[in-house]
Amino acid sequence: MTDPLKALIESLIFVSQEPVTLDRLQSVVEGVPAADIQAAVDALVAGYEAESRGIRIIRAGGGWIFATKPAHDREVRRLLQIERKNRLSSAGLETLAAIAYRQPVTQSEVSAIRGVDSTGALKTLLEKKLIKIVGRKKAPGNPLVYRTSDEFLLYLGLDSLEGLPSETEIAKILEEEKAVDA
Amino acid sequence: MPAAVPEIPLADVAPAPPPAAEAADGYQVRLDVFEGPLDLLLFLIRKKKIDIHDIPIAAITRDYLGYLERKTEINLDREAEFVFIAALLIYIKSQMLLPRETDLAEHEDPRRVLVDRLVEYEKIKAACSLLREREDVQILQWKRDFIPPLHGESELEPVELSLFDLAEAFFLMMKRRASDDTRTIRGRDVPIEVKMKELVALLHERQALDFLEYFEAHASLEEALISFFCVLELVKSRVAVAVQDELFQTIRVWLRKDAHRTAAHD
Repeated sequence: MTDPLKALIESLIFVSQEPVTLDRLQSVVEGVPAADIQAAVDALVAGYEAESRGIRIIRAGGGWIFATKPAHDREVRRLLQIERKNRLSSAGLETLAAIAYRQPVTQSEVSAIRGVDSTGALKTLLEKKLIKIVGRKKAPGNPLVYRTSDEFLLYLGLDSLEGLPSETEIAKILEEEKAVDA
Repeated sequence: MPAAVPEIPLADVAPAPPPAAEAADGYQVRLDVFEGPLDLLLFLIRKKKIDIHDIPIAAITRDYLGYLERKTEINLDREAEFVFIAALLIYIKSQMLLPRETDLAEHEDPRRVLVDRLVEYEKIKAACSLLREREDVQILQWKRDFIPPLHGESELEPVELSLFDLAEAFFLMMKRRASDDTRTIRGRDVPIEVKMKELVALLHERQALDFLEYFEAHASLEEALISFFCVLELVKSRVAVAVQDELFQTIRVWLRKDAHRTAAHD
């Protein structure tokens, strides 16, 4: 791996507002083996982790993207004049989780899982672009079908849907909760 | 696990006076802290340390109805969801009270429908707590696409609108016209291609269109609808752009600069 390659990759990740994948980088930087690009990215990522750097390269949505370090959150928000960053409401998060695990799903399927009408929560998630409409179900009324979006992966810092908490992790949480109750 | 549950006749269940045990431990929880009826049920099951696969339906129903009684405000939508599960509980109880010649196999347990839903919901809730942890970490790391532009108070950037915003504005306007006689179909057929050409020509001539004004000028509902589809199509194919200067202000539609050429070629 050469230093010019590392510098080039740095520029490409910098200008991109969504995660850039290895494939994408390779198609832009012609004639360089994927392994070299990967090595350049790894070197960059490691370099940014140094304490003297305010930004880092994180892995999300199958690619890499620049982000500020968590320690600077307060000052960043002050600069941007954002009082506090809004977390999702619990209804919103619950709806998002139901969609993430059961996708592709319709509004009525999500509502059935939650036992609560989820039309409003779905609309908010659509506006936040965390979910998207992927079509209509071939069922009575042809209801819209929803999936999580690429923004969803970026929002939660997931590399792919595989990164969602697994059955085992969920079972562990439930065990812990029961232990607390007992 | 057949119906080997401490039985309480249904008659005792339905009128549900505030349960004495509840009042005694002074533990009061407001209904609106629960995400919904399943959340409330899970809470009750945990509180009583009940095995989710062997729920004493009568006792749980009584507690559940007790909570419903405590409601002070009535919100019909929410109410219906809570009452629906109450009805399901009572239905399950009635099924279990039916005399049977043989013991039920496990998969025939009338509680099965409810248990499956509760188990699934419990998993989603647990996943939520893990996802919340992730969100709390990620939310502190600012990515460039989430960062709004730094601007002074006076210069607001016009907002580019999505198809959903346009649709919402359109339906709002249609509501205002609801008094129109929509039962009678009148007016002429307007082919969408013709309307599209008209619209593009108009955009070229006037540079920008006021979204709502444009539709209100239409005589018939059919024509307004067709024009609306044209606008959606133009925005979708990125020939035109819909912009709102500020929230709650009028929506303007104009041709994209780079699209002038392509549109002119047609």
